[in-house]
Amino acid sequence: MAAAALGWALRAARQVLPSPCPRQVRSYYVDWRMLRDVKRRKMAYEYADERLRINAIRKNSILPKELQEVADKEIAALPRDSCPVRIRNRCVLTSRPRGVKRRWRLSRIVFRDFADHAQMCGVQRAMW
Amino acid sequence: KDKSAASKDSTPEGAAKRQEDGAETPKQQLLDIIGNMKVEVSYRKKLQQIKASENKKQAMNKLQGLDSEGSVPQGITEDAQRGKPLNPELVKAASAVASSLPRDKKQTESELLAQLRRHEETTDKQKKGEIINLRNVISEMTIKRQSPAQWGLGSRLTGRISLQLDEDGRRTRRERSSAQSMDSRRSLKVGKRLNIFTKASTEPEHALKTVSSPTIWDLEFAKEVAAVTAQPPRNGFEEMIQWTKEGILWEYPIDNEAGMEDDAEFHDHIFLEKHLEGFPKEGPIRHFMELVICGLSKNPYLSVKQKVEHIEWFQKYFEEKKELLQEI
Repeated sequence: MAAAALGWALRAARQVLPSPCPRQVRSYYVDWRMLRDVKRRKMAYEYADERLRINAIRKNSILPKELQEVADKEIAALPRDSCPVRIRNRCVLTSRPRGVKRRWRLSRIVFRDFADHAQMCGVQRAMW
Repeated sequence: KDKSAASKDSTPEGAAKRQEDGAETPKQQLLDIIGNMKVEVSYRKKLQQIKASENKKQAMNKLQGLDSEGSVPQGITEDAQRGKPLNPELVKAASAVASSLPRDKKQTESELLAQLRRHEETTDKQKKGEIINLRNVISEMTIKRQSPAQWGLGSRLTGRISLQLDEDGRRTRRERSSAQSMDSRRSLKVGKRLNIFTKASTEPEHALKTVSSPTIWDLEFAKEVAAVTAQPPRNGFEEMIQWTKEGILWEYPIDNEAGMEDDAEFHDHIFLEKHLEGFPKEGPIRHFMELVICGLSKNPYLSVKQKVEHIEWFQKYFEEKKELLQEI
């Protein structure tokens, strides 16, 4: 009861009081391609265990080949979006598919923009 | 009544003293008895009880002498107690008591009635809740010797933050109460139990027990109250506290097992052969499963439950493929 009240209070406080430094609030994904990528990621997460196990049966030298062929067919029957290969690491802010640095999940243009305005912690212009 | 008078005459004490105290102590005894019977104790009673404690020895002697008399007024006071709102009974009782005393019947009667009237007035006032007996409240509190100093310090420290009115009000109240506590130090633990706080404490317990499910209105009210009282953070520390509560910030010193609640021992993780009972003891499947178990035992990232689920999935899979396996 006390915990629920506290939770309510926190949520209420967040809604009622304005945050001290206003940031851009994004309520939609940047474009449809990003949305589809998000869906693929979710599906891949759901089917990850099954895919791992069926692949363990397939990539085997101990089990009989007939069993492995059956496993091949099974994994092909899974939904296409469940495989992790279809995921593309897009830029988080602009949904750019190319030129994305993995550490920051940002495209090179956005990264450069933030870094020049000193909004990337520990990032400095190289000079040697 | 004659017997009581005779017993009174027989008590070996100064006649003058006895007569003077004789009029007072039965009254005190009566009032003591009334006070014993009643739960609410007023300031007047306290003073009288203090007086009674000072004259205890005399009172004890009187009691020994007036035992027979004591029983008579007790009965009368009991009747008086039950018939508190009814005045003619009181009057009768007062007249009976006065008549039982050796001399000055009219004076004692009038004094008794006056005292009873005052007693009624105070009880009525208490029932209405107009009198705030600070002394009584504070006399019950156990006060340490350092407390006045602490109170003074606390008021000075909080003075900067709180409004001036509050500061002054707190200071004056505390000074008053501390002075009173200093005065009544002797009688702090001597006085009677007020039984105010024990009653009040038992009531909300019952209320809590009856209200089990919080209604939507209660939740809304709690939300409102929390929203009103929640101030924006005044400094970086409060902001960090708020973030920690929300879960944005970790708790320091960093606990490596913050989210994990794995209570399983190492032998549950490593020795997984007991889960292999559903598989055939020989053949390629067994070989395969032993490799799986070897891999799982070296895996520190999965919980025991996940490992068991892994093995069970394989068991289910191979059971489904049993017909196929038997063809081979």
